[in-house]
Amino acid sequence: MSWVQAVPEILSPGDQDVFDEEADETLLVQREWQGHMRRRIQEGYRDGVDAGKAVTLQQGFNQGYKEGAEVIINYGLLRGTLSALLSWCHLHGNSSTLISKINDLLDAVGQCEECVLKRLKSVTPQPQVTDLLDSIEDMDLCHVVPAEKKIDETKDERFCENSAEFNKNSDKSHNGIHCSHSECCRTQEHAHLEKPSLTWILEQTTSLVKQLGVSVDVLQHLRQL
Amino acid sequence: MAVEQDMFDTVVMADERFHGEGYQEGYEEGSNLGIVEGRRYGTLHGAKIGSEIGCYRGFALAWKCLLHSSAVEKDSRKMKVVEALIALLQHFPYDDPTYERLHEDLDRIRGKFRQLCSLLNVQPDFKVTAGDSGLAF
Repeated sequence: MSWVQAVPEILSPGDQDVFDEEADETLLVQREWQGHMRRRIQEGYRDGVDAGKAVTLQQGFNQGYKEGAEVIINYGLLRGTLSALLSWCHLHGNSSTLISKINDLLDAVGQCEECVLKRLKSVTPQPQVTDLLDSIEDMDLCHVVPAEKKIDETKDERFCENSAEFNKNSDKSHNGIHCSHSECCRTQEHAHLEKPSLTWILEQTTSLVKQLGVSVDVLQHLRQL
Repeated sequence: MAVEQDMFDTVVMADERFHGEGYQEGYEEGSNLGIVEGRRYGTLHGAKIGSEIGCYRGFALAWKCLLHSSAVEKDSRKMKVVEALIALLQHFPYDDPTYERLHEDLDRIRGKFRQLCSLLNVQPDFKVTAGDSGLAF
């Protein structure tokens, strides 16, 4: 916004060495003008955010929808197949050990699915911290903070304080991400030791199908996984 | 004279220019925010639909095979319904939220699935949260 700073120069007449009163008035006018500029920029910014959001919201939704559907459908396929086997077992009075094994595998698929969903959610890009910092600086929202703390502030101080606080917040949110990531990893580690992982479930399902005495063709549609 | 006129214009137009500059920046920021926010909703909705459709598909394809392989179960009526369900699922663009007949087709698929289950006399528990799949928000 370099030209914003340039504007007051146009207004302030070159002859500043007239009377003190007049000089003060000029200063007042300048301040008023600057305040007005800032307000107009803020208004414009808000309008711009709304307009930009309105344009891309649906686009983002469609992208996310496709991604989510494509990733999760495989887990659905597996779950549906296991459910079919389970209902088949119930109908044919198969042994309860096999039935409970299928139930275990169904739980495992559910766990996998949950983990993937969690990852999908956390992968969603966070708003870029630098961009936000820029816009907050531009919006000059910081005057709220010092007002509470009664600091006789210069502009620089205000900005420092604000960015410090902001960094704190962004640190927090970063930690949040790390947490969910490590949590997810932990479940996956856990998974490798005991259960999940799609390949493991598939292997188990294949051996189960053999035990049931059913043709492995029943899993044909899972080969793509 | 010309310089004065320019200055006058600058002052008069300034309002618009300030607003315009703020708007430009805001628009960029808003575009990014829109994508992020939209994605978050979209992913959840898409995952829900993917999960449901995947279940039906896996269930139907597996049962088709089970019906084929077992001599006792060779029931043409069951087979017909399984085939019908598979056909419906194959034509359903599950990853496209803008598909105009999404709700209509989804209802048909769900209906066909229920019909198949009652024919087979089974009650699978998919834990599908039905009726919650939207085009938009």
